[in-house]
Amino acid sequence: MNLLETKGLTKRFGGLTAVDRVDFQVAKGELRAIIGPNGAGKTTFFNLIAGRLPPTEGRIWFKGEDITHVPPYEIPRRGIGRSYQITNIFPKLTVFENVRVAVQAMETTFNFWRDVRSLDSINRRTTEILERLKILDQKDVRAANLPHGLQRHLEIGIALASHPELLLLDEPTAGMTKEETERMMELIDELSKGLTIVLVEHDMRFVMSVSKKITVLHEGRILAEGRPEEIRSNEEVQRIYLGKQK
Amino acid sequence: MGERPGWVSLPSHEGEVIHISVHAFLLQAFIGLSLGSIYVMMASGLSLIFGLMRVVNFAHGSFYMLGAYTLVYLISLIGNFWICLIVSPILIGILGILIEVGGIRPLYGTEEFNPLLLTLGLNYVFVDIIRILFGLGGVGSSIPKELNGMVNLGFMMFPKYRFFMILVGAAVVFLIWLFINRTNIGLVVRAGTKDNEMVQMLGINVRLVWTLVFGLGIALAALSGALIAPITGTIPEMGMFMVIEAFVVVVIGGMGSFAGSIVAGVLVGEVIAITNLFYPQAGTVAIFILMAIILLTTKAGLFGEG
Amino acid sequence: MNRSIVRAVDWQFWISIPFLIILPFLTPYQAIATNILIVGLFATGFNILLGYTGQLSFGHASFYGLGAYTAGLLIVRLHAPLGIALLAAVVAATIAGLVIGYLSLRRSDVYFSLLTLAFSQIFYFLAFQLRSLTGGDDGLRGIPVFKPFGIDLGKPLGMYYLAFIFFIVMSYLARVILRSPLGKAMRAVKENEDRAIACGFNTQRIKLVSFVISGIYGGLAGFLYCIHLRHVPVDLFHWGMNGEVIFVCIVGGVGTFFGPIVGAIAFLLIHDYLQVIFTRWELVVGLILILFILFFNQGIVGAIENQIALYREKKAFRSQRSVVGGS
Repeated sequence: MNLLETKGLTKRFGGLTAVDRVDFQVAKGELRAIIGPNGAGKTTFFNLIAGRLPPTEGRIWFKGEDITHVPPYEIPRRGIGRSYQITNIFPKLTVFENVRVAVQAMETTFNFWRDVRSLDSINRRTTEILERLKILDQKDVRAANLPHGLQRHLEIGIALASHPELLLLDEPTAGMTKEETERMMELIDELSKGLTIVLVEHDMRFVMSVSKKITVLHEGRILAEGRPEEIRSNEEVQRIYLGKQK
Repeated sequence: MGERPGWVSLPSHEGEVIHISVHAFLLQAFIGLSLGSIYVMMASGLSLIFGLMRVVNFAHGSFYMLGAYTLVYLISLIGNFWICLIVSPILIGILGILIEVGGIRPLYGTEEFNPLLLTLGLNYVFVDIIRILFGLGGVGSSIPKELNGMVNLGFMMFPKYRFFMILVGAAVVFLIWLFINRTNIGLVVRAGTKDNEMVQMLGINVRLVWTLVFGLGIALAALSGALIAPITGTIPEMGMFMVIEAFVVVVIGGMGSFAGSIVAGVLVGEVIAITNLFYPQAGTVAIFILMAIILLTTKAGLFGEG
Repeated sequence: MNRSIVRAVDWQFWISIPFLIILPFLTPYQAIATNILIVGLFATGFNILLGYTGQLSFGHASFYGLGAYTAGLLIVRLHAPLGIALLAAVVAATIAGLVIGYLSLRRSDVYFSLLTLAFSQIFYFLAFQLRSLTGGDDGLRGIPVFKPFGIDLGKPLGMYYLAFIFFIVMSYLARVILRSPLGKAMRAVKENEDRAIACGFNTQRIKLVSFVISGIYGGLAGFLYCIHLRHVPVDLFHWGMNGEVIFVCIVGGVGTFFGPIVGAIAFLLIHDYLQVIFTRWELVVGLILILFILFFNQGIVGAIENQIALYREKKAFRSQRSVVGGS
């Protein structure tokens, strides 16, 4: 059974069809990359899965359950974590608070009598995640003051808070230098050992080396799917997607 | 319990039935139209500013008030109503531009409600400055000779000045429509209202357009105040309630929608005028209720886009 | 964990206690100290909604007026004892918070603000029109002096220390809430509602809870107003009241703990003092508000907090040797 599956998933905005009858499947344990030129519908696709946008048509299943109309705040509880292309953190909170609040969301919202510092399990899990993402030493820094590369790490850290089984990463290396990208690659490789990851990326070298299977989106439709070598040699892909080599 | 021909029976809030002649009713409806003219101009200004810059200008009422005072003051200096009517909005529009550059621009990029709070502060300042300069009681004004009296529209006599107000309102609406739909700047405004980021990325001098639009919106408010001053006179607080009514109009019509401002402006003007007939004190609460209903049932007003 | 914000709440709370104990002896006349507490209480609640949850209400006067009128009406018309009046004020504020909050939060940003305003204006209208019940324009009069547990509320100090107890209890409660998971959730809504939803928070419910809580503070402030001034003016429902509390929060410091008291002191001093020398005190209020928004956005207490946080951050940065690539 596929971990994540969509059938006929479509999103139209007035006259524009951003996602066009996409049938997509990801098996457990995969590290799948989605590539495609700008405007191909990749972020919209993620938004649909994460419940941020309602689909115009089509269905989405996760672990066999229909999550098509599940509200966005329920999605992390189902086991899906998501990071954003444009950094979407809590700027005025510290690094620690950023992740802690995400961890807390899974356990309690309306508890108003206990001091959050005393909730050991939450604090412990937060520390674990920060350690994993190599930003524990920045824990008291306000997120807005972090250098860009570390903000992208934090971005993923927040997504990990909910113990996701599926991680959707939207251009994790956006805006990163070569060294930062290297670090991110190692991180994602390590994360993929325990999770299923679907990532959207533009960095071709990254994509070709980490992922076992690649899906190419173009104008909202799946143009091609296959192993990196197959995609690389696919003529159609080459035609519409030239020049994105890094 | 009138079966009197040519009369309309309405319940009043004190429980009796009052009889109003159709004439009086029509007159009130017409007055509502002239009032609507003012609301349309106020709302267009507010809506332009909000639609383009996402700034909620709570000081709009103060600029309305300043327009009124400027007119009265200039008339006392120059005497010519027409010149003063044209100059007042321009002067206040310039003031608006200065405020945008000095007070609001520094706040772009900070918390969303900062410009709003700033404009709240401006209200306190403007109202008190006017009190200092012109006293607490307000300044009287009168309708210029040429516009005094009634105009004969065939089936009824209507106050000339009110008719004039409607004409000015219509002319202004037409000019704004031309500006938005037929000029280059207007194109930037339309685009900016739809997608601010995109316009900025296109490298157009967005800052300048924002400043100009702000100035234009303020000038509209000032014109409204100047236009109504001969009928109502001026008091320092005249803008305070008007701004709330203007917001109600904008919300009902849909923030950022020019067409919405027109429809809602006339609608609200009529609602106030007609309620004034039989339950005057309820006029203001009536429009609040109307606004609440619209907000709760539509996505963003009659013509708005969420 | 962010020690600096939590510690800020801590030190501010503990400092405020002795300061407030001696406040009536610092102010020019004792009754004004009670007014400061009342406004401060109202602002503390408003701050929870604005400073921590990021929602700007224009209609909070609804709660102020409701608390005062509910208590006042029960006392004057039904000769209710103080305890019942208090309970009724809280219940009324809670119900109003649920209804107004639920309806107004169906929209966001300025639409939300305008909806809350609409409700407060409806209350204003009702209070004005139902003369026989509320006294209309003249307001509700005839509230007697109470002497609960032997404390004579007719004496300024007696009233003050009663208000003080309320204030300290409610302040402490605010402190507890703000460092609890609920408080953190509210903060997340303010900082980035979109991401908060994505993290799993039902932000609509959080906003509603915050709204109701802040409304209860407003209702309590109204109750205290009623028994302190023994007169409930219809202006409590007027939107000008909301402007006052906004000033208090901005000048004191939005999102800080001690801000409301500092802001209340500032406002009442200007209102009462400046009025004597310079009748156009609103001009000063407006100018100060503008100045603070442009240059001291964090308010007095916020500026102090920021300095402390910056100092701590610098310490943290300096003690970390690891250099992160590329930055």
